[in-house]
Amino acid sequence: MVGMVLRYLSLWVSFFNNSLTRDMEFKANFIGGLIVDIIFYSIQFFFFSIIYSYVDALGVFTREDVMIFLVITFLADTFYMFFFSGNLFNLNRWMVRGDLDYFLLKPVESQFMVSFRYVKSYALISIVILVTMLTTLILNYSQPIGILNVVSFIISFLMGTVLWYGVDFIISSSCFWFKNFSVSGWLSHEIIKFSTRPDSIYTGILRKVLFSMIPMVLIASIPTRTLLYGPNYHYLIWQLFMAMTFLFLTRIIWKRGLMLYESASS
Amino acid sequence: MKAWIDKYFSVIRMTWIQALEYKANAIVGTFAIFSGLAIEFLIWKQVFQAQELNEIRGFTFNGLMAYIFLCMIVGQLKSSWATSIEMIDSIRTGEMNKYLIRPISFFTYHFMMFIGHNSLFYIVYTTVLILFPILLPGYAFPTFIHIIGFIAALLISIYLSYSIYFCMVCFAFWFGEVRALVIAYNLSNIVLAGQIIPLRLFPDSVRNIINLTPLQFLVDFPVSIATANLPMNLWIPKMGMALSWCIIMTLAGRVIYRSGIRVYGGYGA
Repeated sequence: MVGMVLRYLSLWVSFFNNSLTRDMEFKANFIGGLIVDIIFYSIQFFFFSIIYSYVDALGVFTREDVMIFLVITFLADTFYMFFFSGNLFNLNRWMVRGDLDYFLLKPVESQFMVSFRYVKSYALISIVILVTMLTTLILNYSQPIGILNVVSFIISFLMGTVLWYGVDFIISSSCFWFKNFSVSGWLSHEIIKFSTRPDSIYTGILRKVLFSMIPMVLIASIPTRTLLYGPNYHYLIWQLFMAMTFLFLTRIIWKRGLMLYESASS
Repeated sequence: MKAWIDKYFSVIRMTWIQALEYKANAIVGTFAIFSGLAIEFLIWKQVFQAQELNEIRGFTFNGLMAYIFLCMIVGQLKSSWATSIEMIDSIRTGEMNKYLIRPISFFTYHFMMFIGHNSLFYIVYTTVLILFPILLPGYAFPTFIHIIGFIAALLISIYLSYSIYFCMVCFAFWFGEVRALVIAYNLSNIVLAGQIIPLRLFPDSVRNIINLTPLQFLVDFPVSIATANLPMNLWIPKMGMALSWCIIMTLAGRVIYRSGIRVYGGYGA
């Protein structure tokens, strides 16, 4: 088991090196990606600054809390971009053109290949910037944030990333059933949008749905709550359960989907 | 003239047939509008309830929702970033050669393609707009003139938006890959054109800057007409300004295109 993990880890390092080399060939794109990220962050800050010019708090989230929430949202987005977006976004195209064959022929687990093959290396710079911003915000927060909060936040954040991967993977894999589902990326984006707003705005049935079937509030809101207000073990256990469930679902859907795959001649 | 119309109408017809093949676009697009509206609804509901407000800068809660709903529809109808990405690719990969050896304009051909691709959205959203006065009576289209004004402003907005994208696309002649520029513009104009928050709620300093740009005519202008937030006596001057921006952006696009085509190598970058 340990040997297998190490093998896949070294394989991912090779993917990363290869992707970095590719990305550095298109330096303008590399810088452009960073600029797009900065604009995206600024726009989100601007949006909430307007909202908070009319209100003191959205539920429990004050202006100070929402700034931390936003940085955590960006960090989750950047983490996801770094590891997965270069892959899952292209799954439909690979399937339609038959490029998926090349992934299936490799002597490694095909789900690992289609999930991790291309790393968006420029996201690494954004991750460094965002981690620095988050650290600064934590240190300047009006109340002290303990180490237990930080450790449980990291665990919660990673589980949130796994959940995001699970949801996006399931949506992307639907191309096996629809034969050509080019709007899967757009659909994912629209669903993920629910994770970019504090969970305190969601009420009633929608809140239950966003905690369970489409667990968007578990991606950034729960990690933020864990960091700011301390670990809530009910939330964390639920997050772990959901992360495991979605990971399990990706395995089932991938295996079922592959049975339907007929290569480019389809 | 008839030959010109026939030529470009056939482009619309061709892309219209293609668009009909991908109905999922319209379904996801409609979902995008309603999911976006749901989020805005919940946020603003909290704002109104928490502060016990009856209105913000002249907007009641229902009025604001009607406004944002229309903004989302207009925002999606005028956004041609997907077509722009295709145009950038065709310049970068040398595929543009096929437009140069045929009697078609790169600008008009893609504009017609953009309209054709969006045609399914036009049908879906027209249906939604017809239902609008029934779902939220009194918040939009108070008279028939407002419908005419809205359609005119919407057409200007679609053309103006496309012209702005075209200017950015033409920078691909020099830099090859300008996708980041288009995406950055697209992201910022979602907020700065008033697509998710009305411009009237922006701080005055920001609004004054936006008023110097064509951004105010992309979303806020047609929706302000539809929701009767813009007095009728300002329609004609504002339309004049919007049309002036259309002329400016068209001319700018032509100048950039003509300079760009001189440095175009005709091979894949």
